[in-house]
Amino acid sequence: MSDNVFVISAAMIPFGKHRTSSYVGLAVSPLIDAIRDAGIEKSDIDAVYVGHSYGGMMTGQRICKEIGLGTIPTVNVDNACSSGATAIHEAWQAISQGLIDIAVVIGVEKLTQFGGGTLPLSPEDREVKQGIIMPAVYAMRATRYLHETDATPEDLALVSVKARKHGALNPFAQFRQETTVEEVLNARRVADPLTLPMCCPTGDGAAVVVLASERARKRLDSKPGIRVAASVLHSGHVAEGFRDMIKPEISYDSARDAYAMAGIGPKDLDMIELHDAFSIAELIYYEAFGLAEPGHGVDLIRDGKTTFGGDVVVNPSGGLLSKGHPVGASGVAQVAEAFWQLTDQAGARQIDKARWAMTHVTGGGTAGLDHGACTIHIFEAA
Amino acid sequence: MTATTEAPASQPIADMEADSLIGTFAEGQRLVGSQCNACGCTMIGSRVVCSSCISRDVSRVALPSTGVLYSFTRIHVGTAGIRPLGYVDLDNGVRTLADIREGDVPLRPDMRVELGIDDDDWFFAPAAGEKREA
Ligand SMILES: [Zn+2]
Repeated sequence: MSDNVFVISAAMIPFGKHRTSSYVGLAVSPLIDAIRDAGIEKSDIDAVYVGHSYGGMMTGQRICKEIGLGTIPTVNVDNACSSGATAIHEAWQAISQGLIDIAVVIGVEKLTQFGGGTLPLSPEDREVKQGIIMPAVYAMRATRYLHETDATPEDLALVSVKARKHGALNPFAQFRQETTVEEVLNARRVADPLTLPMCCPTGDGAAVVVLASERARKRLDSKPGIRVAASVLHSGHVAEGFRDMIKPEISYDSARDAYAMAGIGPKDLDMIELHDAFSIAELIYYEAFGLAEPGHGVDLIRDGKTTFGGDVVVNPSGGLLSKGHPVGASGVAQVAEAFWQLTDQAGARQIDKARWAMTHVTGGGTAGLDHGACTIHIFEAA
Repeated sequence: MTATTEAPASQPIADMEADSLIGTFAEGQRLVGSQCNACGCTMIGSRVVCSSCISRDVSRVALPSTGVLYSFTRIHVGTAGIRPLGYVDLDNGVRTLADIREGDVPLRPDMRVELGIDDDDWFFAPAAGEKREA
């Protein structure tokens, strides 16, 4: 049996193009703010887990030394877009097994270092050598989804419109302007049928959460925080032949395991932060999470079921499409959003009486896999 | 010295030597595949290890030059101009990423496609017999 684990604080910088900040410059402020908000001292921290994909050697140690945090284990984690959430999963494992009491998790990424363009993928990968880029992978999912269902490009645009509407309410979001279906459809084409506003922007960001055991939470007399009801990490499995690109088994399986661990179902959720790296992904993940039957995810966006006032608010933060997607930071930023929503600190985008939240990130473009990694967490207001 | 056994050295796989997915076979120029002699699993590219049963007894084989277009996109970003790219499910079940060449027949998922070769470039294009209208 594992012990209860709680998120007791969260902090992040607004995502955007912070060209004059290094990895250290991005992460130090939210690191200090999260420690202060948790009401802990540096000496209370047992371990630091740092998710990033492009930070280079010893990113975590470079950040922590700036605030004189050392000696304790610092673990650098790379799982592409799941790096930050994987770091949380590792921290959760250590605490839930009783090995440590308090962990700090940092997610950080600086994509402006690449000067624009699509996300750099491993040049050793077979399909990368053939010219695959992430927008093309999602575009092919979209082509197939439009082929198999009655969805249209207008539906793909509706996802971006919702994301921008939510992002407009979020001071942490990279995009804070609302948009329309017409604007989205008439924008620059990236990979058919995806236009630019159907793709998440590149940018820089950092987010930090503090995780604590029940014992530590009581000892510190800290604020209640939120309980980690499920923490699930899956890896992709190779298919040399057919793969159903609109039923990604890695997200279906992770959701199934997360619901089982939490003892709840999709109808219990008040909010979800999911991996909407491209608008098509959101429709596919509605189905993967059991919010809709396969092929009918599109009905939810048409009927407004996944915005404020609907059945479950999906990406209240604006999601990757509006909040931005600094790869390694995203998984931690999603948990920060869940923390603020479940502790009534989400300001203009607060979901009324939110109790249950799910966060979901996948990661990686790798030949033969749907995604390389998928992390799902479920949280309950404490 | 007492007699002792010595742990064998594992050897690196020279997987950077065979980059091209196209090769010359008795049938002509074909996509290069690998077939496991232990379990029969067939894979795209030159492989040394079977990803199913991890046997190293893997043979180089020619892959079918026809298949079905599972999905496709046209990439508009980057330096290559507009670039159609798709996943093709070959007639033996192996899936490959491929450049797709568009002609008079509009691309659509599930259409039959066949391998074409222009000097150093290879691609798939709608198969003869695919109609202008689906
Ligand atoms: Zn085999």
